[in-house]
Amino acid sequence: MKTEEPPHVTAYRTYLLVWVGLVILTGLTYTVAVGLQAEGWAVFVALAIAGTKSGLVLNYFMHLKSERLTIFKIIIPLVMAVFLVFILLTFSDLAFRGGVK
Amino acid sequence: MTSTGATENLRPRISFYQDHHGILSWIFTLDHKRIGLLYLIFVIAFFFSGVVLGFLMRLQMLAPGNIMKPQEYNSLFTLHGIIMIFLVVIPAIPTVFGNFFLPIQIGARDVAFPRINLLSWWLYITGAAIVALSVFTGEGPPDTGWTFYAPYSLRTTVNVPLAVFGVFILGMSSILTGINLVTTTHRLRAPGLTWKRLPLFVWAIYATSWVQILATPVIGVTMVLIFLERFFGVGVFDPTKGGDPILYQHMFWIYSHPATYIMILPAMGIVSDVVPVFARKKIFGYTAIALSGMAIAAVGSLVWGHHMFVSGQSDFANLLFSLLTFLVAVPSAIKVFNWVATLHKGSVVIEPPLLFCLAFIFLFSIGGLTGLIQGALAPNVHLHDTYWIPGHFHYIIFGGMGFGLFAAFHYWFPKMFGRMYNRKMAIWAWAIMLIGFNIFYFSMLLLGWEGMPRRYYDYLPQFRTLHLTATFGSWILIAGLILMFGNLFRGLFKGEKAEDNPWNGVTLEWQIPSPPPTENFEQIPVIRHGPYDFKELEKNE
Amino acid sequence: MSETKESVFEEIKDYTGAKLGMWLFILAELLLFGGMFILYSAYRYKSPADFHQASKELDVILGTLNTIILLTSSLSVAACISAIQKGQRKLSMYLLTVTMALGLLFLVNKGFEWGTKIEHGIYPNSPALLARTKGEILFFGLYYVMTGLHGLHVLVGVCVLFVMLILIAKDRIDRMHFTPLENSGLYWHLVDIIWIFLYPLFYLIT
Repeated sequence: MKTEEPPHVTAYRTYLLVWVGLVILTGLTYTVAVGLQAEGWAVFVALAIAGTKSGLVLNYFMHLKSERLTIFKIIIPLVMAVFLVFILLTFSDLAFRGGVK
Repeated sequence: MTSTGATENLRPRISFYQDHHGILSWIFTLDHKRIGLLYLIFVIAFFFSGVVLGFLMRLQMLAPGNIMKPQEYNSLFTLHGIIMIFLVVIPAIPTVFGNFFLPIQIGARDVAFPRINLLSWWLYITGAAIVALSVFTGEGPPDTGWTFYAPYSLRTTVNVPLAVFGVFILGMSSILTGINLVTTTHRLRAPGLTWKRLPLFVWAIYATSWVQILATPVIGVTMVLIFLERFFGVGVFDPTKGGDPILYQHMFWIYSHPATYIMILPAMGIVSDVVPVFARKKIFGYTAIALSGMAIAAVGSLVWGHHMFVSGQSDFANLLFSLLTFLVAVPSAIKVFNWVATLHKGSVVIEPPLLFCLAFIFLFSIGGLTGLIQGALAPNVHLHDTYWIPGHFHYIIFGGMGFGLFAAFHYWFPKMFGRMYNRKMAIWAWAIMLIGFNIFYFSMLLLGWEGMPRRYYDYLPQFRTLHLTATFGSWILIAGLILMFGNLFRGLFKGEKAEDNPWNGVTLEWQIPSPPPTENFEQIPVIRHGPYDFKELEKNE
Repeated sequence: MSETKESVFEEIKDYTGAKLGMWLFILAELLLFGGMFILYSAYRYKSPADFHQASKELDVILGTLNTIILLTSSLSVAACISAIQKGQRKLSMYLLTVTMALGLLFLVNKGFEWGTKIEHGIYPNSPALLARTKGEILFFGLYYVMTGLHGLHVLVGVCVLFVMLILIAKDRIDRMHFTPLENSGLYWHLVDIIWIFLYPLFYLIT
């Protein structure tokens, strides 16, 4: 029905660079974890790094960056928002069982 | 089968029924219309079995004393819930009418993924079979309520694993349907059919499909966890291993509350399509109705904790969820207002589809208002787990979704089957159902108000009058149902041949033959106006 | 529009539509695991010390190695698709095989990890585990369920990729018709992304 041009071919080099970035970030998260042994907020650093790695996979390996249609641009933010809402509202219960101080 | 060119106009199109024959051509079909009908047959069959279970429940509750063991009663209401919710109310409109009419309404020949559509149906049948298996094997059907609350669901020796596995499979079916209909709406619209020209039924199914995709996985994983808990003792919901049963309720309701919007949004979509046709007037506030559906889907996903006000959830969560619950009433109210405004000063034509929609508006409003009462924290303490709650949700689900479904039956019957039912009988059936319904479920609201607990197999003498009334009401309701289905069934075989557009609708399904040919359209139409532009239709006559 | 080659599925006329469908399926999968991440957060919030303690018993080296393995497999499957688009059929088949091999290697490592734990008596409902603190019981419960479900997805992914390999071999997937391959790649990356989160949450708890 709709005729389309063939999709853009990503260069091997791009993929390789992304992979290098991913490996570096993996090393980073390992180092940070070992270094921040006792910090409560360290989990958020780990999540931020994991989020960045996922961003690289989504945008480059999964080609989200080169998608033009609106629907592709909103689906990942959408699922993140949904998840965030689920977890925050659940924690509105879990974190306040003893009452609001 | 397919041919092109001038010869088409000279001989009548064969309908999708005549295209292929034999049972295999049905159960392995890729035609969205046939798949819709396959769903229809089973949805109706499961609905009847759910009604029978409900009938038996009301028989037990007719008077104090027992005609069955308590365990049997518990299994009855559990199965009634599982069947009605997972096999009837959640799937019904999207899989029957969404499948049949969404592609036609957007000018397409089929859905985006016809084979996935067939797979969805097969998963539906498989899930149903597994649930049926749980009834007739092992130690018998589950007795946990359709909500499967932990830790009881982890301990009770009856067939919980089979039942929850069945629910998991049904969830997969639902997710695939959602994926199919979202992609279809995005990709297969006819030229000129912008989002703002979509019929509101399509908007409603679209919003519903998003909820199906995003919320169903959560119950999927929850059912898997119940299964794993029982077989491997994992511990996530088991207090003896540190698990939190309230967390189970969160996980369960994160899906099951949005599920109620999967149930109601499509029915609202039907009302939005039907009312303009029988008011001969453009819908009032098209954009508001379209977007309020999306808003209901969104905000409705934030309110699940209102099922848990007395569970031990934190006060802070209680406040938040109560506030959000009040907010979600707003987009629903917008719809009701707009439907009524459409009727106002319209040239109203009284026909069965419209009557069912009017009943919807009335019953849904009562259900919605009772929802506000129980959504407030203080009343909820008294009303939770009383008959008020099933009173409320039957008004919404049965009065709302159910009557919306019946409206769809009566609206689209001529298109699907090429015949017309007896209108007078339909109106009688409608009236009887409406009376029976209100006697039945209003009594429930009163019972709950008086303190009668739900899911109890017996009761104190002070409740007997209302229970008696409720049971009588249920019998009147069932009589109405039998009359309605009997009339429709009779119309299938003995009804008058129907015209292509008996209601003078503008949406695309009324511009093709009744019943439609397999490929829906000879040529994909080019759309130049909105779906409720009656003046356009009159111009072409 | 006439086609000289058939793909194994009838001609996929709407490449974007097929891709959209796959992405929507990925959203559903993300929320499936998301549900378990909610449970994980709840219980870690409740017993942070227990989680820290239990996490020390996991093999960080093996976990990190598995992470690199999956990341590399994502690289190879992505490159595989570029290869097929460039008409480099043999290279794409080679890269696909590498991806599957890495996936299987991941599973073998996981098998060793689980095997060691089970040998030491740490598995759901084991007497040794039940003797521990509630937080630790929950940690291992979640560990087995989440990595188990993830492993199942890896296995399914390997099978799907194997089917793709056959299709390329039979020329039913080629530079003009590779939508199934691309969608399979998307699925594989999803599996990688889930592990990207599982790794720090189970192996690197501070």
